Amino acid sequence: MSGYDFETLKVLVVDDSRPMRSLIKSFLLGFGVKEMFEAIDANEAFVEVRDSSPDIVITDWRMPPTDGIELVRQIRMDLNSPNPYLPIIMLTGFTELHRVKQARDAGVTAFLAKPISAQALYRRLCTVIEDQRPFVRVGAFFGPDRRAKRRSEPYMGVERRHVYQD
Amino acid sequence: MADKPEKIFPPNRLSGKVRKTGGPSPEKAILRALNAAEDLIDSYQGWAVDDLAALWKAYEETRSNSGNPQQILKMFEIAHGIRGEGGSFGFQLISTIGDSLCKFLEGKRKLTASGSEVVKVHILAMRAVFRQKLKGPQPAMERDLRQLLALLRQRVR
Repeated sequence: MSGYDFETLKVLVVDDSRPMRSLIKSFLLGFGVKEMFEAIDANEAFVEVRDSSPDIVITDWRMPPTDGIELVRQIRMDLNSPNPYLPIIMLTGFTELHRVKQARDAGVTAFLAKPISAQALYRRLCTVIEDQRPFVRVGAFFGPDRRAKRRSEPYMGVERRHVYQD
Repeated sequence: MADKPEKIFPPNRLSGKVRKTGGPSPEKAILRALNAAEDLIDSYQGWAVDDLAALWKAYEETRSNSGNPQQILKMFEIAHGIRGEGGSFGFQLISTIGDSLCKFLEGKRKLTASGSEVVKVHILAMRAVFRQKLKGPQPAMERDLRQLLALLRQRVR
């Protein structure tokens, strides 16, 4: 049985901890990812997003003086962002519900709690690749649909969302 | 009136780029990942020594002057890093202790003398875990340690 072929995938790993960056890159290498970039904070990461055009960003949350939430907002909202739809995995030791909501409201695609395992990272990569959620722009929010995952049945309320194809 | 939500269906570039087959099976990919990380996992204890030394230094600074919010935040940040790294590198108990220390320090603006002792207990516990090389899942010990540290945090605010 064969699985995903990650050879063509380009991944940007953002973490201020060198051991964590090395560990994540080793896991990705094991999965078959050939092209990886790294950054130690949000500012460096945004430059890398523009220069290297990664397919996925895996970012830590707390990276003083900047943070991962700031990076997510930049990628989603900044006029200079090359790809506002870029899949972003937030990898963090902050696992409290309010933090998860904060990350979701900033526009992350997926959340992964530290400590991490190779299994969890593999699963999350697969989830992101298969993610078919539309993006929603409402008020100050722009990101993957926050309602889609919570609903197992069709939405029964009044559909207020205007649909258009990008 | 609230803004009208707008739904956008961007092209799914990833599903077009990453083939669903042709790569190693998930089990093989994960095994290869663990093998690729093996040397790093062995090196972790060396890096962690630096983090623990920094945490100890920050603890000694706060102990001498009850700490200021900046010093306490610095300890929190080190503990937060240790919490994320420990279990990722196979030391689950380090993450358990780091998590407890983060819970104790988060939002604190100053530390009492007994509060400083709580910090010390956490650092000594982490040192003991490394000295005894307590790697891998330790469910019973982890449960006991979690309860014990929670009790300590409750007693000393």
